[in-house]
Amino acid sequence: MPQINTLEQLLKATALVAAAIAVLILAWYLVRRPPLNRTTKVLLLFGLGVMPIGVALTGNIAGFEYTLKRPFCGSCHVMLPYTEDAADPASTSLAAIHSRNHAFGEESCYTCHADYQMFGAMTTKLNGLKHLYFYVTEYANTGPYGEGGPKIHMYKAFQNGMCTRCHSTTAPRWLANEEHSGMIEEIRSGDAKCVDCHGGEKVHPRAFAHGGNGRGPAASTGKGE
Amino acid sequence: MISKFTIRRLVLVSAVLSLVSLALMIAGIVFPNPFLLVAAMSLGQLFGTTSLALYLLAIALDLQGVGEHEELGGRLGGGQQ
Repeated sequence: MPQINTLEQLLKATALVAAAIAVLILAWYLVRRPPLNRTTKVLLLFGLGVMPIGVALTGNIAGFEYTLKRPFCGSCHVMLPYTEDAADPASTSLAAIHSRNHAFGEESCYTCHADYQMFGAMTTKLNGLKHLYFYVTEYANTGPYGEGGPKIHMYKAFQNGMCTRCHSTTAPRWLANEEHSGMIEEIRSGDAKCVDCHGGEKVHPRAFAHGGNGRGPAASTGKGE
Repeated sequence: MISKFTIRRLVLVSAVLSLVSLALMIAGIVFPNPFLLVAAMSLGQLFGTTSLALYLLAIALDLQGVGEHEELGGRLGGGQQ
């Protein structure tokens, strides 16, 4: 029997139990067609109202939680060059290094790419719907890693705020770097972008947009790691 | 003219819609890929809400006694034959 270790699993289990109860009640009604007396009405209220609302609530939260995870991002094949690298323990890309940090972990894509503002979660998910549209219209028939599709790019420039919420620009070790301390005001104001120096192939080396071929080093050379 | 039969049909449609909505929502939970999640959170909930609204309408009509005269008339007519 599968164990429940996380809130997401608990919510999913609750949703499935509520759905099973609702289905049983509805199947009983559809098969037996009992008269609409008080007992039937109350049972149907549970089968058509209370239980489905429970399924929707718990299922929505569980679904939303799952959309924050890297496997969800990788479920569109064009994202595999990004997600496989991020999950690769041998990779030294910035995405992989951050993914090995517990503060990012399985949610590393979302943690770095979610909009950093009051309604950031909402705008990020709306952009996710846009991703789905582009996936269907432009990438659905591309190769196993998205070969042949348009190069993937961000809708807007990567903001320094994504980096500075952890890298506060005040730590002595960070300031000891001359390039950091030399342009501290430009970095803080956003005139100099973190990704100007730390972007591109340093973050996602396998991405076609950054000169990669989609696959990891072992797959590219045909040798084992 | 709304009759008892209409009310029972409303409940029937509501039950079928609810099953469809539950199927979509369960699919979104068991196989959480982007398409099924979007379908579960949009179509699934649209069908579920419609189903509940239809059921509540049916119950409201039933509580108002819609179709009872017709049923009574039918019974009396049947008794006279």
